[in-house]
Amino acid sequence: MPPSIPAIPWAPADPPAVQPFAADPGTTAGRFLLRVILSVRRVTVPAALAATLWQVGEAAVPVVMGLAIDRALSTGDAGQLVLWIGALVALYVGLTTAAKFAVQLTAYAIQLLQHRLRSTLSTGVLHPVAGGAHAPDGGVVSLMTNDVGRMANGVQLVIMPIARVVTIGFIAVSLLTTHWVLGLAVLVGAPVAVWLMGVLSERLSRDTREYQGLLATTVGMATDVVAGYRVVKGIRAETEATRRYQQASQETLVGAKRNAGLLGRFLMGSGVVTGVFVAAVMGLAGWFAVDGQLSIGELIAAVGLAQALLPQIQSIANDSIPNLAGSRASSARILDALQTEVVVAPEGDDTPSVTQRPVLEVSTSSTTIRVEPGELVGVRTDDVTAARVAEALLDPRESGSEVVVRLDGIAAGDLSARDYRARVTFTPHRVTLFSGTIRDNLTVTAAAPELVTAAVRAAACDDFAADLDLPVGEDGNRFSGGQLQRLALARALASDAPVLVLHDPTTAVDSVTEHTIAERLRAVRTGRSTLLITSSPALLNSCDRVVDVPVRVGGVA
Amino acid sequence: MSQVSAALPVASGRETAREVWRLSRGHRLRLVTVGVLGVASTAVNLIPPIIIGFLVDRVRAGTADAGTVLVVAAAMVLSAILGAAGTAVTIVLATRVYHTILAGLREQLVRRAMTLPQHLVERAGTGDLISRTSDDVTAVADAAPAVIPALTVTAFTIVVSLGGLAALEWPYAVAFAVVLPVYVLVMRWYLRIGPRVYGAERAAMSARAQQILESQRGYATVLGLGLTEQRHRSVLDASWGVAVWTLRARVVQAMLSLRLNFGECLSLATVLVIGFVLIDSGASTVGAATAAMLLVLRLLGPINELVFVVDDLQSALASLSRMIGVATIPAEADEPAATAGAGVAVRLNDVAFRYGDGPRLFDNLVLDIPAGQRTAVVGSSGAGKTTLAAVIAGIHLPEDGTVARPGRTTLITQETHVFAGSLRDNLTLGAPAASDDDIQAALDATGAAGLLDLLPDGLNTTIGTGGYPLTDAQAQQLALTRLLLADPELAILDEATAEAGSTHAGLLDRAADAVLDGRTGLVIAHRLSQAATCDRIVVMEHGRIIENGTHDELVAAGGVYGELWSAWEAGRNMNNKAGRTGS
Repeated sequence: MPPSIPAIPWAPADPPAVQPFAADPGTTAGRFLLRVILSVRRVTVPAALAATLWQVGEAAVPVVMGLAIDRALSTGDAGQLVLWIGALVALYVGLTTAAKFAVQLTAYAIQLLQHRLRSTLSTGVLHPVAGGAHAPDGGVVSLMTNDVGRMANGVQLVIMPIARVVTIGFIAVSLLTTHWVLGLAVLVGAPVAVWLMGVLSERLSRDTREYQGLLATTVGMATDVVAGYRVVKGIRAETEATRRYQQASQETLVGAKRNAGLLGRFLMGSGVVTGVFVAAVMGLAGWFAVDGQLSIGELIAAVGLAQALLPQIQSIANDSIPNLAGSRASSARILDALQTEVVVAPEGDDTPSVTQRPVLEVSTSSTTIRVEPGELVGVRTDDVTAARVAEALLDPRESGSEVVVRLDGIAAGDLSARDYRARVTFTPHRVTLFSGTIRDNLTVTAAAPELVTAAVRAAACDDFAADLDLPVGEDGNRFSGGQLQRLALARALASDAPVLVLHDPTTAVDSVTEHTIAERLRAVRTGRSTLLITSSPALLNSCDRVVDVPVRVGGVA
Repeated sequence: MSQVSAALPVASGRETAREVWRLSRGHRLRLVTVGVLGVASTAVNLIPPIIIGFLVDRVRAGTADAGTVLVVAAAMVLSAILGAAGTAVTIVLATRVYHTILAGLREQLVRRAMTLPQHLVERAGTGDLISRTSDDVTAVADAAPAVIPALTVTAFTIVVSLGGLAALEWPYAVAFAVVLPVYVLVMRWYLRIGPRVYGAERAAMSARAQQILESQRGYATVLGLGLTEQRHRSVLDASWGVAVWTLRARVVQAMLSLRLNFGECLSLATVLVIGFVLIDSGASTVGAATAAMLLVLRLLGPINELVFVVDDLQSALASLSRMIGVATIPAEADEPAATAGAGVAVRLNDVAFRYGDGPRLFDNLVLDIPAGQRTAVVGSSGAGKTTLAAVIAGIHLPEDGTVARPGRTTLITQETHVFAGSLRDNLTLGAPAASDDDIQAALDATGAAGLLDLLPDGLNTTIGTGGYPLTDAQAQQLALTRLLLADPELAILDEATAEAGSTHAGLLDRAADAVLDGRTGLVIAHRLSQAATCDRIVVMEHGRIIENGTHDELVAAGGVYGELWSAWEAGRNMNNKAGRTGS
């Protein structure tokens, strides 16, 4: 990046430390929004001051011009001309400086709030240490990008509208000193114009949201079809998939056309409202000038001020009112997500403690699987029971589970989340790699570098993962299903966890390689406990013991 | 992160312009109307400043009366109404044409994307294609509210106002024309800096979305491996990574405003100086100077808007050229036709294949697959089984040699995808004409009918993203049912039942049996139990076929397959023993 773009001096290059926002059950969306936007007053108060200076400066431009025409041009006084050009330049220097501070401070406030909201959602919904009430769905992405952005934009409500209202006040007062009727006309007319345009824009914003929903559906459909590209190609359904997309696209087009119609009505309405209002003020000023109550200079200044009213009224109606509605709606969605996450983690000094290498017991209604320290135990059961056992081991606090997990005889639900996680590492069947290189992925769990080398060999990744600095690609798409499973296994084995639970780790691995893994697994886990939930004969064969969990009638053991 | 090895093409400026011109066919009359109306309504908007100037002169001369004020006020109200109406109609018309063209383009894009050769897409990554069909389509659609007024009303306002200024007192227009190069310089500066900063900001945004998405998709992994704090830090780093660029973008914006304000100040000062000289020499009036000042003030807004919108316009154009780049990829040459012999469903004749410029995977590959039978392909990872399946299915075209296959050939892999939509829509994807009875029969045959009872609205239940969640095994069962409904002559299953962890393996195997029943089947198997039930077995190694025969023949021959089989059997026996000794 060229050095000609300096960063804002007061903005840190590293993420600032932030406290999560509190979202107690009683809070309403409006109150939450207010708490959030008032939390950065040390930024917003100077921003509002700078914005006010900026906007008043903008409104003063036609006044200065009017005065210049009156004092310099109509008199032919060159000294006055120099003086007023000087005044104009000074005004521009002032308003430009104020604008710079206002824009940058506002952006900083928005970014600080976005960051703090994202941090709140990250710990509250996306990465709850104790496990959440339920796993977050795909909506969390939109929540943490779109909604956080919209809600943080709400902070502008305590910056720009204040500046604009003050500016309208400034214009009204300036006109009051010229002629009281003109000032009164603005004081009464401006709020009415804002209100009328707000009413006009309401229907349009509602329809725009609806249209954006339609567009999102069409775009989502295209994403979905392309994501399922190989499936569509395999079944030769290209024509049918295209036809379905076309249908959604055409429905969106109808929405877009209707929305354009409403936009036209709004433009027409707001143009007439503001145009007639400004024409009325100018006409009144003209009448007073004809009547001799206003000088030519005052007439020109009044006309300029009336023109300066336009952007202020339009901006409040077109930006601030929809901003308020949008940030409130996002506030409600974010609050909702935060409040449904009831964290039931007993944290503190009074939680019982367990040994570093505890005995693991998993009890279903029919069987107890016991893993002594250092043992490699296999569990063979049906899919549904395996899933139940896996869920309980992943998150033993999950209420309503019939499967009970104990460490050293203490129910895992009574342990602190941190203590449990420090003992038991669980590898789900579904593989997720994170963006970065193979090494980035393997070292997330590894306590020491040599563990990675051992784990790569044990998981039989040595044939394709010789270069650990290869990127894994988006969602690990550089690798086949079997290779992904082996990488995930290597990552789990590198963790050196006291107790490691593996759920169906090799279903996509070919039988030759699976044999290799089975042979190497025991050595790499020596001295630590391992629980293998699998139906693979090769893996079960490598276990010290295999526990069969019988299937009860109804499918749950 | 991803290498740009073989990204999908991006259209050049000329190609983009040509394609947009082609797509505008049928809308050109409307576009002409937009131009005429735009000019007319901006001309109407010039009335107030000029008439105020007229009033100023009348007042100064003392010739104004109540009637003058009434005329002035009436003209201003009338122009406000007419101008607003004209502007509104112009923007509505332009917006409708814009969206109609966009809809046509996005449909063409998806149609072309669906028929692209798969290797092109695989090399570029589906992410690239997804970003063009989603991010780019959204970017072009979202640019409409900024770009359309800029290209119609704003641009016309500048031209017409300058014209008005020239008509009023030409020296003012000349003065303004002198200031215009300042704006050109500012715009050029902005175009050099702006896109880079905004591009970096957008890249940071997609990195942020990716981090959040990975944590969400990998929820169980994050929790199970105790990675919550690390992932939290990654998300926050990515979050602040966007903030840093957004703040830099605001610095650029402030620098832009500074330059624009300089231009404004210069324009207004010029008006004062010119006005002073003209009035002093008696060539003009105070009223004309007032009108010129008001006109210039009206011009400044649109010019600033235009400079700001250039960025939106550029980003929309970049997205447009990415869409058109894919939409206009020429159709590829058809694969040379080939015929298989009697009783042979698939014939590979001296097939050579490689991915792009990679090493040759197959060389002179020759293989016949008998019709009406079930053939298995086995071999270790990397032997080329999946590539063979794709070449036979016609998804990858051979570099050399020919492949003869039945007209209706389908392939399903272990990669399942549940499409967002109803269960019915999912199943009829390969057979749009299938009735509910057909669907029911197919579900019964694949043993997936039980699923129907689980779903709250039966066939109408929404599944896929945002819908009723299905397990991998259920998704694969649906994929097999979908295949059965498509009723192909040749069905290729590439490890299609591999996802089943435990007991569902049997369930999926039964579903696969139902699908293969009565047609030619090719099964890429990694469980030997699957291969053993097939009529013939082909063993691959390093892209070559090393064994080909029935199970009994190959076991008797004692080759690679024989060894694999005995190792597998030994494992199974020992395991049964272990099972009995368990607690």
